[in-house]
Formats: sequence, structure tokens, C-alpha cells
Amino acid sequence: MMQLLINGLIAGSLAALIAGGLALVYGVLGVFNMALGQMALITGYCTWWFHQVLHLPLGISVICGLIVGGLVSWFVFEIFVNPFYKRHRFLPLVTTIALSMILDGLILLIFEEQPHAIIPGIKDTFQVMGAWVSSMQILLVLLTVLLMMIMGYVLHSTSFGRKIRAVVQHDQAAMSLGIKAPLLHRYIFIMSGVLAGLGGIYLGIDQSLTPVFAFPITIKAYAAIIAGGKGNIWGAILCAYLIAFLEQFAVGIHWFGLFYIPAGYQQAVALLFIIFFLLFRPNGLFAGRARTA
Amino acid sequence: MPLLSLKDLSLTIDEHQILQGISFDVEEGQIIGLIGPNGSGKTTLFNVISGFLKSSGGSITLGGEEISNLSPSQRAKRGIGRVFQNFGIFRDMTLEENILVALEALPRQQRKDLGDLKEVVAGTLDMVGLSDAGKKKAGSLSGGQMRLLEIARTLKAGKDLFLLDEPTAGVSPKMTGQVADIIKELKSNGKTVLIIEHDLPFIASICDEVVVLDVGKVVLQGTPAEVKESKELKEIYFGADPTT
Repeated sequence: MMQLLINGLIAGSLAALIAGGLALVYGVLGVFNMALGQMALITGYCTWWFHQVLHLPLGISVICGLIVGGLVSWFVFEIFVNPFYKRHRFLPLVTTIALSMILDGLILLIFEEQPHAIIPGIKDTFQVMGAWVSSMQILLVLLTVLLMMIMGYVLHSTSFGRKIRAVVQHDQAAMSLGIKAPLLHRYIFIMSGVLAGLGGIYLGIDQSLTPVFAFPITIKAYAAIIAGGKGNIWGAILCAYLIAFLEQFAVGIHWFGLFYIPAGYQQAVALLFIIFFLLFRPNGLFAGRARTA
Repeated sequence: MPLLSLKDLSLTIDEHQILQGISFDVEEGQIIGLIGPNGSGKTTLFNVISGFLKSSGGSITLGGEEISNLSPSQRAKRGIGRVFQNFGIFRDMTLEENILVALEALPRQQRKDLGDLKEVVAGTLDMVGLSDAGKKKAGSLSGGQMRLLEIARTLKAGKDLFLLDEPTAGVSPKMTGQVADIIKELKSNGKTVLIIEHDLPFIASICDEVVVLDVGKVVLQGTPAEVKESKELKEIYFGADPTT
């Protein structure tokens, strides 16, 4: 049981990074970015390339990877989102689906199908209350918590954060006060791409990167923002952890002492989660607090 | 020179003429009422003046400067403030944050001139009788309190021209008087107000002049008394003068 909880915490931290950024984008722009998983993987693969091919130190590789991730997000915003989202909020859904297909092909072409681990080899693991965990996993979870705290501080205690929250809650009123909402839209999209990229790096360090991870990353992030209340960043983060725990318990429990659910069905949990919430609680777990930063 | 001048302003969306040939001036310190039936183009005109919709023709000048090609935030920086029909407050931010974010959006020098922003926030809340609710979420306020907060915030954001879109909508009759008082206070502070309202007695009590819109055109303009007595107004609202 403890192992399942720890696994859920690790997987949840990865999902929370991605869902948190996405919730901001959805709250501000109201658009879907279906290439988010691919954007996360590109940052992860670039970090792998800087570290394993160019042999740069891990810290520098992570920074370089994040810079590439930020540039890719900027490019995606300018080409695939910005020209379309003001015409209709669903147009970027189509353009980013097309982009996800292009990026899938490019990732396969450049990095091929085999797994790429940013830190290959066996990781040093030890037992915590009966559960096996590696020092890198603890570091990653702690870094995620630190990042969330920084994000919380920026959003709630700085002028920049207050402007973002104002744009999330009423963009026209924010613009009427002189806040440059279109510029913030751009920043938020890039920030979301960088957070997703961090998720990609996390994945490449904790496990390994393969092109098939892209779609599950995207769908889990959307499950979290739908369940958390669309645009509610803290709700999305909480639900990312919730989905990760459900995934771990769904396949880790010996149901009624009779059978295990095959691990291949783990990904279906997020999809079932979306369906459940859309049917019974379409405004999300934190109904009435939608569009909240 | 008028503070705001609209000349032959038009707006076409998908081949539909929404606004046509709108021309009128707003002098500094005036309160102008904008009335007309639903769908006459009042809020659309506000959206064009504040930059959320781009006009198809004509000109908008503010203090003599052409502003038609400026973005909403650029127009706001030049002194146009907007109060929204559906309450333009940030509901999940505290009252203090609602005012603080407006002050932080000011140009650097203007912000410095204000001095301690916390004191300005406290003073603004005091002005509208909400000093005890500073830490509360703005969404927890009543409609009237939200409206007062929004007007006070716009005032402190250094705006000279106020576009008020139905400021008494969703406000209790008891608080309507308070909203009227704060609008009159804007005038006494030298501010200029353009106000959309369906409540004609309210408009008559505070406005210097009234502009009547119908199907996207200015059909009548004059003092509240002149407009109230005009045959055209009755025809617009009732189809024909019911007294004839």
C-alpha cells in the first residue's frame, strides 16, 4: 500500500507540473493545446541530447532543455494558437492536433522509438516505511513542491501574478485598467510549455522517454483540469495527484482477492475520470470556482 | 476642444451594419446618458470606444488625439475607464487586490506620484464604505457594493473618461442612490462620464445631456428634459406616440 502511495506521489508530481501550467492557459485563453505532451517530450529529449550526447553537466542540460522548450512554446503560440484563438476558441484544438501529429513524426524521425533515459542505469534506491524509492525521485517530488510554492508566491504575492489572475478572471476588465492582456497570454502560454517541459525532463530522469508517452501526458493533464474546474490551477494540481493515485491503486490492488487489473489499462483511468466528471460534475470538483487562478 | 469626439463612426460585422454615422462630442466634465432600446448598439458603441471592437470607419479622438487604432490597454493608459454591465471585478481576488492591481497597472511615474499604494487602497475602500471588507473576496459582495468597488477602482486607476454600462443593473434600489452619488462625485472631481442606462428617471437626475440610439444610429440628442418630452423617444420605445 505504501509503495502505491509513493508511486502515486511521484507520478502525481509529474502530472501536476503539466496540469498546473495548462490550467493557466485554459483559464486565460480558453483554448486546448493538444500538442502539450509532444512539447513536454521535446524538452525532455533535448535535455537528454545535451546531457548524453554533448556531455554537458545535468544542471546545464536541464537549463538548455528548458530554454529550447520555452522557444518551442513561443513558436507554437505564434504560429498555431495566436492567429486563431481570437476567431474561435476551438480553432487551436484543430491546429494543435495537426501540430501534435507533426511533432510525433519529428520525434520518431530524430530520436527513434527506443527509450532514452536522461540518467541511464540503475538508480540508488532505499526503503521508506516499507516502500522502495530513489533519492532522485525524492528530489523530483521536492522540486515539484518547491516549484508549486514559487508559482503560488508569484501568483498571489507579486504584481505580475495579480495581473495574471486579473486576466484569468475578467480579461476585458483587466485590459480596461491598462493591463496588456495579449502580452500576458503569450507569457502564460510559454510558461505552460516550460512547466510541461519540466514534466518531460522529470519523466526522462525518473523513467525514460519514448514517443508513445505524448498522448497520455496530454490526456491526463486535461483530465486534471476538467476535474479541477476549468481554469482553476490549484484544483487541477490537486486532481493531477488524485488521478495518479487512482491509476496506481487501480492496477496495484488485488481486487476482492481475485484478480489484478492489467497495467495496460492504467491509462484508461484518466479517460474514465474525464467521462465521470463530465457526466456528474461538469463544472469540476471545485464547482463555482472555475476560472480561478 | 471636446474630451471625446466621435465622427461618422461605423461598424460592420459579417456584412451587417451594426453602427452607422455615429457623431457626437463629449465635453470635459459632462455626464452624457446613452439610451435606446435593446439591440440599438449602446454596448457595442462602448466596445468600439474602449477598443474591444475595431470600427469600420470614422474617427474617435480623445483630447484631440486619434485613438481608433490603439489597443484597449493603450486607450486605458490614455485615460478611458470602463465599468462593465456584468461587473468587471475580479471576483476571486480580495477587495484590496482588486484596487492594488489597478494601481499597479498605472505607468511607473503615475504610480510613484501616488505614494504608498497600501494607503491609497485603504483610502479607496474607505471612500465607498468597504474598509472593513478589504480582505474579503470581491465575489462575496452584493451587486451594489461590487458596482461601487468597480467605479472606485476605475477612479483610482487615474481615468478621465468613464464609460459606465448600466451601473444600476443588479443593484438594489437602496444602493442605486449611492451609485448616483458616486457618479455625481466623479463630475465634481472634473471627470467625464458616458453612461448607458435603462432607468430614465436615473438618467434624468444625473445627466447633462442625453444621446438616443436606435438601430445603430443617433436619432436624438438634447437635455434630459428635451429628450423626455420628444415624440421620437416615445416612438422608439412604443412604436408610436401612445398619446396621439
